Formats: sequence, C-alpha cells, structure tokens
Amino acid sequence: MISVRTRAHAQEAVARALLFAASAFVVVAMGAIVLYLAIEGTRLFFHDHVSPLTFLFSPAFAPDEGHPGALVFILGSLAITGFAIVIGAPLGIAVGVFLSQLAPKRLAEFMKPAIEILVGIPSVVYGWLGLTLLAPLVREHLGSLTGFGLITAAIVLSIMILPTVISLSEDALRSVPDTLREGSMALGATRWQTIFNVLLPSARSGLTVAVILGIARAIGETLAVQMVIGNAAVLPKNLFSPTAALTTEIVTDMGSASTGSILYHSLFSMAFLLLLIAMGLILAIRLAARRAS
Amino acid sequence: MRRIADRIATFLLWTAAIGVLVLLAFFIGYIVYLGWHAISWHFLTSPPSEVDAGGGIGPEIYNSFYILILTLIFTAPIAIAGGIYLQEYARPGWFTNTVQFCAESLATIPSIVMGLFGLIVFVNLLGWRFSAIGGALTLTLLNLPALMRVTQEALASVPDSYREASMAIGATKWQTIRKVVLPSAIAQLTTGIVLIAGRIFGETAALVYTAGTSVSAGRSAYDLNPFHNAETLSVHLWYTHSESLVPDASAIGNGSALVLLAMVLLFNIAARVIGRTLTKRLTAT
Amino acid sequence: MLLGQQPKADLDINAKLMVTDLDVYYGAFQAIKRASLDVAENCVTALIGPSGCGKSTFIRALNRMHDLQADVRVEGEVVLDGEDIYAPGVDPVAIRHRIGMVFQRPNPFPKSIFENVVYGPRTHGQGNRKKLQEIAERSLRQAALWDEVKDRLDKSALELSGGQQQRLCIARCLAVDPEVLLMDEPASALDPIATSKIEDLIGELKKDYTVVIVTHSMQQAARISDFTAFFLMGELIEKGATRAIFTQPKDKRTEDYITGRYG
Repeated sequence: MISVRTRAHAQEAVARALLFAASAFVVVAMGAIVLYLAIEGTRLFFHDHVSPLTFLFSPAFAPDEGHPGALVFILGSLAITGFAIVIGAPLGIAVGVFLSQLAPKRLAEFMKPAIEILVGIPSVVYGWLGLTLLAPLVREHLGSLTGFGLITAAIVLSIMILPTVISLSEDALRSVPDTLREGSMALGATRWQTIFNVLLPSARSGLTVAVILGIARAIGETLAVQMVIGNAAVLPKNLFSPTAALTTEIVTDMGSASTGSILYHSLFSMAFLLLLIAMGLILAIRLAARRAS
Repeated sequence: MRRIADRIATFLLWTAAIGVLVLLAFFIGYIVYLGWHAISWHFLTSPPSEVDAGGGIGPEIYNSFYILILTLIFTAPIAIAGGIYLQEYARPGWFTNTVQFCAESLATIPSIVMGLFGLIVFVNLLGWRFSAIGGALTLTLLNLPALMRVTQEALASVPDSYREASMAIGATKWQTIRKVVLPSAIAQLTTGIVLIAGRIFGETAALVYTAGTSVSAGRSAYDLNPFHNAETLSVHLWYTHSESLVPDASAIGNGSALVLLAMVLLFNIAARVIGRTLTKRLTAT
Repeated sequence: MLLGQQPKADLDINAKLMVTDLDVYYGAFQAIKRASLDVAENCVTALIGPSGCGKSTFIRALNRMHDLQADVRVEGEVVLDGEDIYAPGVDPVAIRHRIGMVFQRPNPFPKSIFENVVYGPRTHGQGNRKKLQEIAERSLRQAALWDEVKDRLDKSALELSGGQQQRLCIARCLAVDPEVLLMDEPASALDPIATSKIEDLIGELKKDYTVVIVTHSMQQAARISDFTAFFLMGELIEKGATRAIFTQPKDKRTEDYITGRYG
C-alpha cells in the first residue's frame, strides 16, 4: 500500500510541475515577443538614426529618402477606429440591451449562434464583402471615386466589432442584479427609464470593457481594412479619400521591403507601436475593472 | 410622454437586433450567390494558376487543414495544461497575475504584429523561410489565450462537490482532475476547441509572412513536410485580390470566399453537435 | 421517541478518535473553540446544535478537509489510534483512506454506478477487474443498495433517486475500507422514507465502523446515536451518552436546546 501511495504522490508532483511550466510558457512567450519586436522596432532609431519625433509626427512617408513619417498611418488607424466605434459601439450595446432585457427566449437563443457565426467569419471574407458589396455601393450612391476609402473601411470595421461589443455588453447587463431592476420598476419607472437610469449606469464598467475590447479589435484588424481602404499613404481629405492605417501599411509593403532597409525597419517600428498600444489597452481594461470593485 | 419614449426605444432596439440578423443573412446569401458558379470539382482540387484562367484552390484547402492540425497539436497541450494550472492549482499572487496579464496581452496583439514576430523568429532567425510549421507556431501563440480561457471555463463549470467527494475518498488533486473533473468538462472543452479551430482556419494576417503566399510546385504541393511554404485558402483569397494577374481573379475570389464561409459554418455546427452529443453521453453513462 | 441502544459499559469502550483542544479559525474568526471529544469505537456519535454552531466545521477537521481551503487554520490534536493526524509529515491523503466522509447533498460522479463505487480502490492502485467487482458487491451490500442496482451497474449513477444516490455515496466511501465514517447531515436532503433507510443503515454500519454524524434533528440523534455532543457558537458545551444527554442534561444551555427553546 505504501508504494502505491508514493506513486500517486510522485505523479502529483510531476503533473504539478508540468502544468506550472505550461503557464510559465505564456509569460516567456510574451517576453520574447516584446523583446524581439522592441529590438527590430527600434532599429529605425538606433541604427538608421531616424528621430522618433519624425516617425511619429511627420506626415510625409518617404522611407527611400530616409524620412519615414508614420503620422498618416497613425491617424488612419485612429480615424477608422474612431468611426467604427461611433457606429458600432452604440449599435452593439443596443443589441446587448435587447438580448438581456427585451428578447423573448426563443429569439435570444436563436441569436446566440448567429453572433457566433458573425465572429467566426474570417476577416478576409469581410474584406471581400467590403470589396464586392460595399465599395460599389459607396461608389455609386455616395459619389466616391473608387469606393475605397476611410468611410468604407470604417463601416466594415464597425460590423466586425459588433459581435464583440454585443456579447460583452449582454454579459455586463445580465450581471446587474435583478433586484435593482425590480426596485426601479416598483417605483413606477418605465422599462426604458429603468434601462437608461439604472441598468446602464450599473453596468458601466462592463460596458467600458466591451468598448475597449472593440477598440482593440478595430485597431488590430488588418486584412479586411486593407482590402477597402485604398492604401494611399496620404492624409485623408474627407471621408471618402483613400488612406492607410498602421496595420494595412505593414501588410501592403512588407512583401516588397528588402531586409534591412529603412522601409523594413519602419514597418517593424509600426508593429512595435501596435504592440505597445495593445498592451496599453489591456492596462486600461484592468483599470476599468478595478474601478468597478 | 414617457410611454411614447418607451415605445420608440423599444422599436429602435428591436430594429437594431433584427437588423443584425438580416445583415448576417444577407452576407451569407450574397457570398453564396457570388461564389456558387465558381465551385466545381475541378476548382476544389486543382492547383492555382499563375497567369491563365482556370486555376483552382486544391493545395490551399489542403494547407488550411494541414496548418490547422499542426497548430492544434502545438496549442492544445500547452493551453489545456496552463488552463488546468490556473484554474485548479494557482493561488492568487504575483505569478498568477503576471500569467493573466500576459495571456490577455497575447490575445490583444494584432495578428499582423504576431506575424511579424513569426517573421523575425521562424523565417529569419531559425532560417526556416516560409513554412507551414512557422505559420503554425505563430498561430499557436495567437490562440493560446483563447484555448486557456475555454479550458478554465470548462473546468469552472464542474461543481465543487465532485472535487470534494473525490478528495474525501483519499484521491490526490491530480487524480481528482484526471479522473473526475476533466471527464466532466470534456463536452464544453471540445466545443470550445472546435470553435477555435474554425477561427484558426480563417486566420490570414499572421500567415502571410510566415507560411507564405505560394504553394510548393508540383508533387510537393500535398506533402507532409512542414518546412515547405504553405499558402492557405484565406491567404490565397487576399493574395488573389491584391496581386493576381489571372483574368478570372474575381471568380476565384468568390469561390474561395464561399468555401471559407462554408468551412466556418461547418465548424460552428460541428461544435454544437459534438457538444450536445458529449453532454448527453456524460449524463447518461 | 426511541432512545439509542445502550452503549457498552464504560470499561469496554475504546476511543477510536481522540480530539484534544481543537481550534479552527476562518481568517481571524474563531469557529471552534478548544473542543475536546473522545469518539468511541464501533459506536455512533452525534454532533448536534443550532445552525452555525460549528458542528460541520468540527467534523471536517476530523479528516483534514480544511486543508482544501485557503485561509483556514486548525490547531490542536486529532489522534487516530495513537497518531495525531495533524502532526507534521502526516499525509492527509492517507488519512482520508482511513477516515471517510459522506456529504449532505448526494454527489455521485457523472459515471456509472460501478465506476462510482470502485473509484476509491482504483485511485489507490487496485486494477484487477475481478477484485473490483468483489469490492463493489461487498460495498453495495453493506450500503443496502445491492439488490436495487445489481442488474444495472453500468447505468449512470445520476439516474438513481436521491436516497439511492446517497446510499451509493456511502457505498463509495465503504469501498476504500475506512475505519471511521464521518457523515455531515447525510439525510437532510432526503424524504422521510429514504431518511429512515439511511438511519437503519447507520445502525448496521456501526458494527464494523466508527460513525460520527452531524445532524440538525435532535430526534434523529436520539434515535440512532450512542453518544452525543452538543455545540453552541463554536463551543462544545456538553457530551456524553445519548440517553443521559436527553434525559438529564447537565448544562442549562443543553436543556434549553433540547426542550426547543431555540432551534
């Protein structure tokens, strides 16, 4: 009997060590990613002696002349993300409210797989839809020249972030205790007043997280945007101008960038910048969550 | 006055929800409508063509599955093990916090950025050039957090009373996990894995500069060598649109989009069916 | 109201478990205060008291179940056959082979009846199919469940009724051949018929095992136990032969509880 007990204990120790190693791997991987991207991403500054200020704030993107200003792309990313959030966040939260408060059970159950499918559609397919469906519409009905530009990209993006915002808002609203809703209704408030004055404020932190994750998804989206944004490295004049974003620029030009060139290094600097933005968003989420408790 | 505001609000909300459903149905319908003519046995099995019309997506479909399986082989053990550790063993503290933060960050990194990391390490540093395994390892990093989260949720859904009963008989923690907790969680875990598989299948940005945009020519297009370049279907769709010279690029794109969509729907349905079957088996035997 | 059977004369009684000065803390809150109790071998000892008095906390300390919670501190001695189970270096897993526990809500695993019963022996290394079948039959007979399930051993345990599931959990416990059985309100989630079956079962079990049972029903304690310990707000107020406690309680608080002054 003693030997059996020892074997089980030995297995326990081994299992514990392996499981620990697996979770430690996550930390190691993240560290490696930050490290390598930092090294490659700062070559532009240390090796090619380009000033970070030039990189961040100059609107002229001319790497062949040693002047890779990424402002166009930074603003492009911010613009499409901003518009996508303006369109997609209220819509997503509205559907989240609908699902948690209004929807009859059968409909809610039907919408769940529908939203999962929306999430599952690959971004290339969204891009393709934007290309074949949306761009012609924009071209014909809104007077844009090619149909490719800021607004097209923003619309495609807003649809892509919908599922994320919907399901997170729904979760946030469901987790508000029923007693709050009942208390409000018992005081004579209408359903909409209850939603607006009690439920939405109570779910504020969860909704904030939903929006921040929507932002994260939007800023990181590459191919769908690249297929409809026009890929012109110029600041947009209006909503219909072709422009570019950080992610789209990387995927467009990386293929033709020769290793070690200034273009190559500036693309990596853009990648590093995106990495920092992603980590910053995670911190923002943690802060929002902490404020809740 | 309040009544009217209420009615308007309700109307708007219903419109939003139905609108989303209609949008989805419209997308699916449109893709089917566009791509239906392009689908043929020839299309699904022949190799792509560089210049002439009539190319197919055979090798690309193969590569999509190949990279999917390779990615799951790498991701599943690490993610499930990590998830078990975080859910069953880890105590709150700086280490657990760090792991959570890293997992959340990994999940938020844009896939193109991960692709560039793969470019640095797998393509250049390790000298593998464009390869299926490079793509698979990059996708592993991208999907680790999701599978860890799925594992944790599946484990959390197992009632604590099972753990208590097992420990009270004198089983060790690992025995309890292996013999009681994991089997009870398997239905939810499998559903999650199949759904993630669907996402991996559609992944593009991370693969463009790690697995490449072309397939090995001739006899090695369908081989098992993980070190050959391996353009997947989703990458092919993008590449066709942006660089292709063939006259029927549109048709190829439409067909590819349809096949991609069909695969994703299949994965979704499979996930639900498998989940339901496993749950039934669990509570019946 | 039937009183428990006469316990054997004092001289014959062996203390299977000796608890000395047990303290249990949940964080800063002290849930058990210096409780001492000798648990007689092959007898049924009932722990009674109003809800929140600590009887569940006490019984869980007897097989080191508190080890599974963070932030719980146990001090004092629990001596099993001369060995303190809380001594440093003692393996809690081994202790739980010898001291088993049945919980308030039946918690069979989502596996077959057979797999549930042989779970314990399997984890202890018993792989021989024939041996396991013998163990399963023996345990199910001891738990008075064999006749009801012998033809459907590979059906899911979740298909059994509540009372049957609880007897299955008892069989599962017995399959590892423990010496002491701890039962935390084993019948409180069951209907009266199932409850009386469990009570009869306990009367049989004490011939081979030492039983400690937590119960919120005084009548149950009076029916089935040989010894009783009364808890109030974490303190062990009075203990002794069941008949004595119920007919001539020494402490006024015991008397108040027994006569129903508070529940």
